[in-house]
Amino acid sequence: MKITLKVNGQSRAIEADPEMPLLWALRDFLGLKGAKYGCGIGACGACTVHVNGRAMRSCAVPLKAVVGDEIRTIEGLGGDHPVQQAWLEEQVPQCGYCQTGQIMQAVALLEKTPRPTDEQIRQGMNGVLCRCGTYPRIEAAVRRAADALATKVEG
Amino acid sequence: MLTRRDFVLGSGALAVAVSLPLRAEAGSDAAAAQAFVTAFLEVSPDGRVTLHSPTTEMGQGTHTGHAVIIADELGVDLERVSVVTAEPADPFRRNGQMGSGGSWGVRAWYQPLRKATAQAREVLIAAAATQWSVPAAECMLERGEVVHAASQRRQGIGGLAAAAAALPLPAEPPLRPKSELRFTGRKVPRVDLPAKVRGEPVFASDVERPGMVYACARLTDVFGAELDSFDRESATAVSGVLDVVAIPGGAAVVATNSWAAIQGAEKLRIRFKPTPHDKLDSATISRQMRVGLGEGAQPISARADGDWAAVAKAAERVVEADYEAPYLSHSPMEPWNCTVEFGGDGEVHIWAPVQTQDRNRNAAAAAAGLPAEKVRLHTTLLGGGFGRRLGSDGIAAAVVTARAVKRPVKFFWRREDEFGQGWYRPAQVARLKAALDADGRVSGLHVRTAGPALSASFSPQGLPAGQLDGSSVQTIRESRYKPAAFHVEWVRVDQPVSMAPWRAVGATQNGYFLECFIDEVARAANKDPYQLRRELLAHDPRALNVIDTAAKAAGWGQPLPKGRALGMAFVECYGSLCAEVAEVSLRDGKPFVHRVVCALDCGSIVLPDGVRSQVEGGIVQGLSAVLGEAVNIGAGGAVERNFDTYPLLRITQSPERIETIIIESGEAMGGVGEPPLPPLAPAVVNALAALTGKPIRELPLSRHRFA
Repeated sequence: MKITLKVNGQSRAIEADPEMPLLWALRDFLGLKGAKYGCGIGACGACTVHVNGRAMRSCAVPLKAVVGDEIRTIEGLGGDHPVQQAWLEEQVPQCGYCQTGQIMQAVALLEKTPRPTDEQIRQGMNGVLCRCGTYPRIEAAVRRAADALATKVEG
Repeated sequence: MLTRRDFVLGSGALAVAVSLPLRAEAGSDAAAAQAFVTAFLEVSPDGRVTLHSPTTEMGQGTHTGHAVIIADELGVDLERVSVVTAEPADPFRRNGQMGSGGSWGVRAWYQPLRKATAQAREVLIAAAATQWSVPAAECMLERGEVVHAASQRRQGIGGLAAAAAALPLPAEPPLRPKSELRFTGRKVPRVDLPAKVRGEPVFASDVERPGMVYACARLTDVFGAELDSFDRESATAVSGVLDVVAIPGGAAVVATNSWAAIQGAEKLRIRFKPTPHDKLDSATISRQMRVGLGEGAQPISARADGDWAAVAKAAERVVEADYEAPYLSHSPMEPWNCTVEFGGDGEVHIWAPVQTQDRNRNAAAAAAGLPAEKVRLHTTLLGGGFGRRLGSDGIAAAVVTARAVKRPVKFFWRREDEFGQGWYRPAQVARLKAALDADGRVSGLHVRTAGPALSASFSPQGLPAGQLDGSSVQTIRESRYKPAAFHVEWVRVDQPVSMAPWRAVGATQNGYFLECFIDEVARAANKDPYQLRRELLAHDPRALNVIDTAAKAAGWGQPLPKGRALGMAFVECYGSLCAEVAEVSLRDGKPFVHRVVCALDCGSIVLPDGVRSQVEGGIVQGLSAVLGEAVNIGAGGAVERNFDTYPLLRITQSPERIETIIIESGEAMGGVGEPPLPPLAPAVVNALAALTGKPIRELPLSRHRFA
């Protein structure tokens, strides 16, 4: 059936099964490859995108549940978002496959909690797995991004 | 017909060279936009340099290491260099094969790449010198330009490449002195990260081809079971499903999109032929391995220094313990996939995340019924490897599927099938004995390991009966500990579970066995485990320096907060020596690692931040394994099939602090991707044993209760 999605500020109509998880609509129908398939059960977070500002596992959210919602993917961050910059400054990624999910999770965390404690960073990022072991750098990058965003607001 | 440079997705983000980068080809086509100055280096008219690297970038940073090596030796800015993995060809092979493993990426290619780059530099200079009619010796190459200072002439290498490509390469070009190297040994940004943080399509799973369809595999739940039959309509009833194709080990459900293919694969009614191991389980495997530790087994000797029997007989006491380690999954975050397209020109193009290019190309060629030269293998960036992509077990089915449907196919496994196909880190058991003399000194060590042979499963040529499987005794056989007698032996206990090298391979389980046993011996001898290691390494200043460095940085022997303890381990593998000290406590009855100090002597380094990232990654992956990872076997297959039951480490469990001390001893350059991993498990277990007073002889730790 015809489904209209609002992705990164644009309305996009596709012909798809309403039960199809959002991830596959983004990847196969809209050509947005940033969100990744890792587990298909919402356990790894590689597919993380924002729905109305909340980080969601797009592999486990059916299209019918997000019609009319504001969907934001890594492509919608613009490329030089402070979190993306912090990720480069801390040289976070290794293989990089989970990192779009990590970045989207971090953006959502900082939008809700602009000055997170170390424990809030850990709890907030706990849903996204990284097999390469970049966790120490993810923590550092979230701290750095929080500082950068705070400076921006104050400045 | 695909052209020299084919841009997948049309975005230019994933540039895949489809021409065989041999120099002769470029030389015969002087008008070509790009010139291959050597097999490795392609210089475009705007002066950009593309390195065709012999290595696979799976996160370990080798492509950046290679970019640094060539930027320095050539004399260009790092931003002007991009790196792709080459297609299989002789210049990129080691021992006849192209592939990445064994932490060889930088140490094996450092000198060959410097030489190839120096050759390119010399012909670029010669091309300019000829053009200007000045002696080449008066010219130099810096910041991407050949410069003749006396006449104040300079020209970018982009304009010289075509002429340079036609010149003979000097056999022994001079290498730049260390003082001229601008990037080697300094912190530089990785070349692959900007695209990765922007979410650009860099992985095999992101490749799209015109007219492409999607194929999701449905594979056997029992290891190695062959397809019996399937009910095609049970899958084609799903909207979007086009076809079902029989493939090795199961079926591929072909559809217009990934979701339809997954739905079809899950709904497919499929039967597999019975196997002799349909009821196999972990308890049986464990029992069979432990039989290998007993008197009746036939061990193969791996090391026989001194007279163990005499030392044991003369000993004041002999300490003995049995250990066991489980099968482990590599679990790269990107499940297996590749994209296959048969071209009209009789070639088949494959975009794949593989660590072994020749092995995969040959497997694809056999499945396609084509000679290997007709298979054009384009290695993308990998969403993790860790050894899982050393095999070629996924590629034939993709080729079979694409041939059957006569369209470009993106072929993929669900995570459940990634888990279910085997190729694990081997399970293994060990019996360790130490002879202590009247003075409490270790006079002898005797180690027997028993388990399935990794090489028998993984090597295409297998392992003949009676021959030693090196990885089953890895790092114990080569241990620098030097008691009067040190015997190491192995008993082969085959299992129908396939295995593949897992980051650091045999050193992962063997490092745990030996290093935890050393702590047990220390407790038996009433000695500090660090001091016992110093005694066993007293003859070896390099090893002593490594453990001393780690102990000092960790504050070994200093008071700790209540409820915390330190554990130490020292493991050597892949040419590097690594000691780690872990600081551990119990939180709600579960082990928590506050801090890990790592001292790594890898000889000399190219990328300091790359080394640090590999140390951090090795420690996190090692901690993941020791805390909770195990693939259990039941009903002839894997019990754990996704991350809900196979618990990869999460960030809340990650150490609060990791401190890395890189020791540049000046010895031969060692590996970095693997050596930091093996010491982590024994360091953590030793700390827990120090905390609780109880040895832990079976992993993972989640099987144990801590008060």
